[in-house]
Amino acid sequence: MTTMPQIRPDDRPLLIAFGFTLVILVIGTGYTLSTTGTMPLLQPSYLMQQLQIGSFLGICAAGMMLVILTGHIDLSIPWTLTSAAMVATSVGGPWAIPAGLSVGLCVGLVNGFGVSVLRVPSMIFTLGLDTVLRGLMVARTGGFAPQDTATPAMLYLAKAKLLGVPVALFVWIAVSLVVTFLLTRTTFGRALYATGTKERAAWLSGIRTRAVVTGAFLGSALCAALAGVLLAGYSAKAYQGMGNSYLLPAIAAVVLGGTHILGGRGRYAGTFLGVVLIVLLNSILSIMQMPEAFRQIIYGAVIIGMLLIYGRGTRVSE
Amino acid sequence: MQNVPIVELSDVAISFAGVKALAGVDFACHAGSTHAILGENGAGKSTLIKIISGVLKPDTGTIAVNGSKVGFSGPADAADAGIVCMFQELSLIPDLSVADNVSILRPPRRFGLIDRRAQIARTEELLARVRCEDVDPRAMVRDLSLSRRQMVEVAKALGRDPKVLILDEATSALTQRDVETIYGLLDELRADGVCSLFISHRMHEVEALCDRLSVFRNGQHVETFAKGERSDAEIVRLMIGRDVTAKFPPKPPIRAERAPAVRLDDLRWEDRLKGVSLTLGKGEILGIGGLDGQGQKELLLALFGVLKGTKGTVTVGDGDGLATSPHRAKTGKNRIALIPDDRKTEGLMLSLSIADNIVAAALDKVASGGVIDPGRLDAAVRDGIARLQIKAGSPAHAVRTLSGGNQQKVVLAKWLMIAPDVILMNDPTRGIDVGTKQEIFRMMRTLADEGKSILFYSSDYAELIGCADRVIVLYDGRVVSELTGEAITEEAIVAASLNLKGEVA
Repeated sequence: MTTMPQIRPDDRPLLIAFGFTLVILVIGTGYTLSTTGTMPLLQPSYLMQQLQIGSFLGICAAGMMLVILTGHIDLSIPWTLTSAAMVATSVGGPWAIPAGLSVGLCVGLVNGFGVSVLRVPSMIFTLGLDTVLRGLMVARTGGFAPQDTATPAMLYLAKAKLLGVPVALFVWIAVSLVVTFLLTRTTFGRALYATGTKERAAWLSGIRTRAVVTGAFLGSALCAALAGVLLAGYSAKAYQGMGNSYLLPAIAAVVLGGTHILGGRGRYAGTFLGVVLIVLLNSILSIMQMPEAFRQIIYGAVIIGMLLIYGRGTRVSE
Repeated sequence: MQNVPIVELSDVAISFAGVKALAGVDFACHAGSTHAILGENGAGKSTLIKIISGVLKPDTGTIAVNGSKVGFSGPADAADAGIVCMFQELSLIPDLSVADNVSILRPPRRFGLIDRRAQIARTEELLARVRCEDVDPRAMVRDLSLSRRQMVEVAKALGRDPKVLILDEATSALTQRDVETIYGLLDELRADGVCSLFISHRMHEVEALCDRLSVFRNGQHVETFAKGERSDAEIVRLMIGRDVTAKFPPKPPIRAERAPAVRLDDLRWEDRLKGVSLTLGKGEILGIGGLDGQGQKELLLALFGVLKGTKGTVTVGDGDGLATSPHRAKTGKNRIALIPDDRKTEGLMLSLSIADNIVAAALDKVASGGVIDPGRLDAAVRDGIARLQIKAGSPAHAVRTLSGGNQQKVVLAKWLMIAPDVILMNDPTRGIDVGTKQEIFRMMRTLADEGKSILFYSSDYAELIGCADRVIVLYDGRVVSELTGEAITEEAIVAASLNLKGEVA
């Protein structure tokens, strides 16, 4: 037996993501030092601002992780987010936020029903529902923007600061704590991992796999709806297409954090780090004033590259 | 023999993952004969025909066709040499037409393109030979009934112009009329000098059709003889042989009256269960015998609430009906557990930890209000590991790192955690070592003594004899025999498995 402290295979993706985050910070700081002689990336206020923007992505990714752990995927995030934002702003008043979240509730139940009971592949069903939601929203607004201003509560959650820290960041942390608790300390969490590992074996163990899968989609849609409500507060209004840039980064953050794309394996800390990594990567690319085309190329290449490293690691360890 | 055998195997051996499937097999068959191959489950029949038809390559030994040595690189090679096999699992492609399927290997061509008209004409001719003129060559295979499909399979095999035709359980899904057709066809082929190798579990078919019989047991060729040289009883004895197997815990004296734990009355499901009636008593180990695929698996799954659309009356305990899902079965007034036969895909979540697997069925027992209590969880896992003496480094290790025997113990530990009243076991000792087998049998007896009821299918007759208080034998979805006490013998079980009524015992 060896007494050397060994890296557990579970921790590997976390360490890689953490290491890569540090590399980004060093490279970015080196760049700003050499060009302007400042180091904005290491200033708490700048980091705080970036994380405030990142919290919308973080909340989406937290929900996405639940679905990916079951071995499914939720592609309806963009318009769940947008619909929730639009419904919240048009209802207005004290019921704005509950109205937005109830959109998420409905979407999650429909997705869960379609995937677990009707057995439609999640990739198709959620994509279809995304398109339906877009149609509904366009039909409702008729291309115009009716009352679409965020309520004071939404503005507070998304933009205000508490003790010098953006409230949005607190919301993200609260969601993170809830998801971590769900995954590690509840029967639902255990059933989620079991279902994602081998649905048939889980079902034959008497786990209600349909309910578990529905629960995961419900969590994902609620998170997307919450992100939508916050984003509407941040932008002070809801607008079409506001969710479009959240789908792929959310999936990327989950997978970069070490969650197995086919389900059953992954820890929430990884997803959190994955979001931080993506946010920092984005902000560095914008500091470098990289043309949009190159940003996209680098962004994609980094994600593929990191997944290659993970893939290699698991092959060796098995 | 009078002439050179058409297929001859000498000293053929093959093993899978260290387990010998065939060892030192010499086998020969001759043109113009219908040759039956008999043996128990796992005797090596299917491996033998896979070697002859080029699907598997033997580790050692040689195959000769018409006296010259050959080395097939695949089934296509064997087909070129005139060896055509009809496998148990149908090999037709459902989304192609009958004609496409029949000439899938060498379709008739014109200018390099498939000549549809010639293909259909050829198919019609072949279908006429198997008296299936009612099948339209343009019909999709998916639209045909199972028995029609099997006949198309026969036509496809005939279309390859076989010198050696292998029929592996070819008649299992056929109607009586089609069986007659096959009989006639085999006679025709024999007259044409074709050698047919015939695998069947139906003794009367073997009697009616074959002129030579070969018996296999434990991967070895026991004996080949002409029809009529041996009586049924002798054949059964050749199939069983004498092998010492695991030791079993002593059985309690037979008790005539037991309070019923589960009662089945005329349970039916699709065409797999055709009216099963039985009573499982409290504290009883009831063995299910029979050849593979006679409805045993379906019977256990039905009781566990897995199958949809079962008919018949089921009474569990005082008056509960049939569970409608595994969750209901597990949480009913009388808790039911199922140990599936395939532990790698149905029993375990291989990449999860031992601890996660052990608590998977009893999560609510270590949690209150859905929130897990880590202390209770650890205690439960430790308890399960100790109770079954699972040899594992740490409960946090993935289950896949354990040996087969220990994996099966994890499955048992998982189900014992819910304190089940009825335990359904589907071949729980398949592929595990003798030591663990004995532990499992002791465990089963202890559980039965505690008043649990165990319904237990095993493909190994010795286990049924050594372990069960009572044995029922299934054949074609029905209970054909019930044996108690001294009457549980290998002869009786094998005879019942082959549906030979009283002729042997």
